[in-house]
Amino acid sequence: MPTRRLILQTGLATIAMPAVLRAQSLSGQITLMSYTGIFQDNYTKAVIEPFLAANPGVKVNYAPGGTSAQMVGSVRAQKADPQIDVAIMDVTTSSIGNIEGLFEKLTPAEFPVLDELAPEARAAGGEFGPAVTFDHLVLVYDTQNLKPPLTKLADLWRPDLKGQIALSAPPNIQGLALTAMVEKMEGGDHRKSIDAAMKRLKELAPSVNTFEPNPDGYSLILNGVVKVATGWNARSQLYGDQSNGRIGTLLPPEGSVFQINTINLTAGSKNRVAAAAFVKHALSQPAQKAFTERMFYAPTNAKAQVDPKAVARTAAAPESRASMIPVDWNDILKVRDQWNNRWRREVISAAR
Amino acid sequence: MTGSRRLPLLLLPAGLFVLAIYAWPTLLLLRNAFNEVGPTGAMVEAWSLKTATDTFADGFTLELTLNSLQLSLSATAIALALSYPLSLFLFRTDSRFRGLLAVIAILPMLISGVVRVFGWLAILGDRGLVNTMLQSLGLISAPIKLVFNWTGVTIGLAESIMPYMVLALLAGFGQLDRTLEEASRSLGASPVRTFWRVTLPLSLPAIVLAAGLGFVLSMSAYITPKLLGGGRVFVLATEIFEQATTNTNWPVAAVLAIYTLGLLLFLLVLSNLLARSLRR
Repeated sequence: MPTRRLILQTGLATIAMPAVLRAQSLSGQITLMSYTGIFQDNYTKAVIEPFLAANPGVKVNYAPGGTSAQMVGSVRAQKADPQIDVAIMDVTTSSIGNIEGLFEKLTPAEFPVLDELAPEARAAGGEFGPAVTFDHLVLVYDTQNLKPPLTKLADLWRPDLKGQIALSAPPNIQGLALTAMVEKMEGGDHRKSIDAAMKRLKELAPSVNTFEPNPDGYSLILNGVVKVATGWNARSQLYGDQSNGRIGTLLPPEGSVFQINTINLTAGSKNRVAAAAFVKHALSQPAQKAFTERMFYAPTNAKAQVDPKAVARTAAAPESRASMIPVDWNDILKVRDQWNNRWRREVISAAR
Repeated sequence: MTGSRRLPLLLLPAGLFVLAIYAWPTLLLLRNAFNEVGPTGAMVEAWSLKTATDTFADGFTLELTLNSLQLSLSATAIALALSYPLSLFLFRTDSRFRGLLAVIAILPMLISGVVRVFGWLAILGDRGLVNTMLQSLGLISAPIKLVFNWTGVTIGLAESIMPYMVLALLAGFGQLDRTLEEASRSLGASPVRTFWRVTLPLSLPAIVLAAGLGFVLSMSAYITPKLLGGGRVFVLATEIFEQATTNTNWPVAAVLAIYTLGLLLFLLVLSNLLARSLRR
């Protein structure tokens, strides 16, 4: 004869069954493709490891994808037989993947976490994968060997910086963002013309040591090759901490430009269930909080309760937001070749 | 089937290998060259010559070609000037260390191109070996710009092709008959005159062969211009990489790759024809 306790246990088990089954169905492996180096190290610790702990049946392979363009190239090459399940990359390239049908559309019905995201994070991907991190362009400088320190974008033209600057020229998006920033510094608007920026950058060209910092500007500063470089805020903040403050980060008062990474679910993923679960996890409040506090990318989940000290060092800080130049990367893509050609003919040629 | 008829079968394994890893990807590359890229950056499947015509109508393609030719010519000339006497020495020396010396000459081939380039950065950089030495000797007050420009790329390329040219020269020196040089000397010619009238003309086929190889290697070099050029040196190889991996513009990259391939084949045929005519 069934006891009251047995009935209660059976009832609870029935209620919990769907959740148990759901958790059990998460198995197999998925491949996440994104940036290598410190991004991979920190993303693994802050986001992937908690996901693995919550889903012990799933294995996440991290595939270092090089640049965003290389990543979308890899997904494109595997269109017939996708090996990548989730890809995190710059919005300028993920939008190409969206148009080419490489990534899936995500609906709030299946991904309720989308409703927790900041409006601009949803807008970044449209109906496709939304923004998973926000960042912005900064000037990175050697705090030990640059006296006086850098205080504004216009300081790049200081005579003492001749030969001491590393700029990433277009088609690198740092170069595209810098063009918009210099145009604004000169009182212009990149949507109308970049003539003023070209004129000023041409004057800067002889001071530039390299237009293609390898492996990156932060390393060139730490190796003493240059004193100033263009960089991304999150990485600069982290390198600043790792170098005991030698790497300084300046958000130019003249303004900066957002960089957006989106998270994308590959169309035809072989383990879609686990891949979708990972996307939900990556956009969730705990994952967003953990990654921001670890690497200073601004969260895209508006409900994430991030330590204010960490927020102050991200693109989400009020002073950062106020300084941002509105740049629509889809519009920039249309003029990228034109800007690239002008840099080559007007700026880089002046530095030879 | 006779033995000689079966002989071509020996080519089968290598032929199949080349077919799999070279011919098929080249066909895919050719297919990509007919595709187009829309204003949004997305690739559109097509059978169109628009990408090719646009690429060749752009004056920058001609500039890239001339840059590649100029760079290859400079690097080959420097490498030849350095490797010719070195190879002649290795060919002629009776030293018991000849084998060891030959290995040392081609040793750079065993080191990764990236490592060699970073070595050059340490030597030629503003705070590198050369500038530090010149400054400490009081010969210069500020560092001379030796990297992140054409100078650095030319030096790096010349060094990278030298081992290949040494090998090609050593292989080509087979026709260099020492008795002819001895005859020239015994008839009263000075060593310099013997070199100019006998040694050099006899080694011309080897020079053409080595220069052809060095030139082709320089034309297709990517790592050296990319890492030592500092974004200032635009050549065909770097542009192909840029279009494929930064702009995601595979059709333009494919057009440029096929164009470069054609250019290299043409130059190889030309150098072989020249070498053959000199041997006659």
